Amino acid sequence: MDKELEHNFVELLEKHQNIVHKVCRLYTNNQDAHNDLFQEITIQLWKAYPKFRGDAKFSTWMYRVGLNTAITLYRKSKRSIKTQEFESVSFKIKSVEYDDTEEQQLKLLYKAVHQLNDIEKALVFLYLEDKNYSEISETLGITEVNARVKMNRVKKKLKTILNP
Amino acid sequence: MDELELLKKDWQSNTTQVEHQLTEKELYPMMHKKSSSIVKTLFYISVAELIFWIIINSIPYFSSEEYRAELASMYGNSGVLLGITIFSYAVILGFVYLLYKAYKSISVTDNAKRLMESIIKTRKIIKYYVIYNLVMAFLSMTFGLYYTVYENPEVSEQFAKFSDKQMFFAMVIMVLAIAFFVLIFWIFYRIIYGILLRRLNRNYKELKKLEV
Repeated sequence: MDKELEHNFVELLEKHQNIVHKVCRLYTNNQDAHNDLFQEITIQLWKAYPKFRGDAKFSTWMYRVGLNTAITLYRKSKRSIKTQEFESVSFKIKSVEYDDTEEQQLKLLYKAVHQLNDIEKALVFLYLEDKNYSEISETLGITEVNARVKMNRVKKKLKTILNP
Repeated sequence: MDELELLKKDWQSNTTQVEHQLTEKELYPMMHKKSSSIVKTLFYISVAELIFWIIINSIPYFSSEEYRAELASMYGNSGVLLGITIFSYAVILGFVYLLYKAYKSISVTDNAKRLMESIIKTRKIIKYYVIYNLVMAFLSMTFGLYYTVYENPEVSEQFAKFSDKQMFFAMVIMVLAIAFFVLIFWIFYRIIYGILLRRLNRNYKELKKLEV
């Protein structure tokens, strides 16, 4: 039974691992820290998995556990301080459809997002993942109105960071 | 185009572009590694606190016969001492129960705010436990000091030479010294928990700010 549970979990995690990678990208600055946070989120997901009920989508459930780990449970590892930052490398823009200015703008945007605080990053993350305000408010534990208000403030803040 | 919309477009087109996709083989060992979350650390600290204060509370029972006899005479009769001991262990048990309940209520699948609140609540229980022990330590040291000065024949003989004023200052200095030790302990705790929960407190404040 346990083996089966493990197997199911790993299969699901492998399939949806991008969600965890994305959380890690947003909350860490280098590869070591990224791996470290990925590791911790995996542990938390596995620990919580026996209580996971099929009534929620696995991916939705992952957003919550992933963000909670990144915002609240994760302790930054010491070794992450020594290593080089990879801001510009982490978000390699591989597609060719953007022109130079757009590419430049995107780099700046990702950099700006990295400057936001943990809660603002969570909002941006859920927004980028196309979650609606009701889901955002449920994940963070704030009201829908407050989620909207905060999101507008974050947008303004990003504008100010981009155009000082 | 709105900046965020541009970002969203890129973010979503990048979905499959994580450089290194982990395989099932790589994920298996990751599941079973030990967590280093703040809840785990908090748990270890609270267990250490419990053990530390249980040891402190048990010292009289593992020390010499004379010390116990002296303690018993200090309290007039051993009934009082027994009462105090039972009380202190009952308090410890009470805290163990409360801590257990608090840890149980921490769930990573709660929403962010509720998760933070349950961790803060757990930390508060440990805080009250520490305060309780520090107050008890202060009281018992002060009481012990008073007893030594007035009841211990050798010591009280020396103090007998003191004038009332000198006596008063000597007592004040000693009580202040005890208070100082207790304060050092308290600052030490504040620093430990302060460092551990700094990020959590900051994020919790940020969420609370949204409600105003």
